[in-house]
Amino acid sequence: MSDELNSIDESVRLIVMEARRPVAIDPEARRRLAEALRAEPAPTRSSRVLSWFVEPRPFALPPFTTAALAAGLVGIGVLTGIALNRDGRAPTEQPRAVAASSQLPDSVAPRAIKFVLVAPQAARVSVVGDFNGWDSAATPAKREADGTWTTYVPLRPGRHIYSFVVDGTHFVSDPSAPIAPDDGYGQKNSVVVVAGASS
Amino acid sequence: MSDAADVQRVLSGDVDAFGRLVDRYYERCARFAVRMLGSRDDAEDALQATFLRAYRSLGKYQERDKFSAWLYRILVNQCRSIAARRNQRERVFVREEAVLLNAPDRTPNWTGEESELVQRVLAELDPLLREAFLLKYIEEMSYEEMSTLTGVGVSALKMRVKRACDRLRARWEYIKDE
Repeated sequence: MSDELNSIDESVRLIVMEARRPVAIDPEARRRLAEALRAEPAPTRSSRVLSWFVEPRPFALPPFTTAALAAGLVGIGVLTGIALNRDGRAPTEQPRAVAASSQLPDSVAPRAIKFVLVAPQAARVSVVGDFNGWDSAATPAKREADGTWTTYVPLRPGRHIYSFVVDGTHFVSDPSAPIAPDDGYGQKNSVVVVAGASS
Repeated sequence: MSDAADVQRVLSGDVDAFGRLVDRYYERCARFAVRMLGSRDDAEDALQATFLRAYRSLGKYQERDKFSAWLYRILVNQCRSIAARRNQRERVFVREEAVLLNAPDRTPNWTGEESELVQRVLAELDPLLREAFLLKYIEEMSYEEMSTLTGVGVSALKMRVKRACDRLRARWEYIKDE
């Protein structure tokens, strides 16, 4: 038994020992995983998603309202209650978030979703969501001269949960987008619904 | 063969080498997912998503990181994502379900009662506390490893683990006295 276990209460130690026991997973789940892996293209150093990002693509951004209605996307909103100033004062200009989309030629391909957060006081902004494993390092936004932060994310049709991360610690939901059900972590996330090509 | 060597083999076209990585980590990841999510179905979804995501992202894996830490980071995030998606549905822990989460135990006189209670008190824990507790004591990670994985500071993680232990102890003693 490790020293660390010796230092904890007996009842907690019992819980630890019990929780360390192996669990039973349906062998079918393992088989399904093997099948899904076989169906995947072989990974390479330059992944398809990465190259998608670096290839310049024209984005035809429709009027925001049209896009929002058509694709159920997030809207323009003013975020409140987010203290972005490093000196603790309320920011004079509140960040706002917009997103828009453009349709890629392939109907089954992801659609390019543009995320914009206006946060002049922020030092770093990224977008996290179920599409990037909630990895705050995966999708950094680029700062424009006017204090807006922009990034594009290829999203397949469907419902995606996301949030902005400001300065690596502040999770900022989009107040004008639908709020996802509580994630159990005390954090409010936003929802973007990407419409399919036929809708 | 090391994890790094297997990753290299996969990226060189020997995709079967990924199977060895799955074999090496599947059971550990399964245990974390089951304890974290309290549901075998959700855990299986998390495992599927984790290994698929790892496979697809293998080209972006940086060798300076331990593969296990990189994989766990994906797993923890997938568990969070699934927890967010399951719409706060009420978990009803019946004894049979909790017992079934564990592998069969051939220990004489083992009734499964302890498994049921453990799963129950873990489920009642705040998810952030449960996550920190599992990483610390079930996955036996250092606080530094946990910090790298979660992006949360060491002192905050220590506080979460301590609170988790306090609450688990209180609940355990209360339930055992029922």
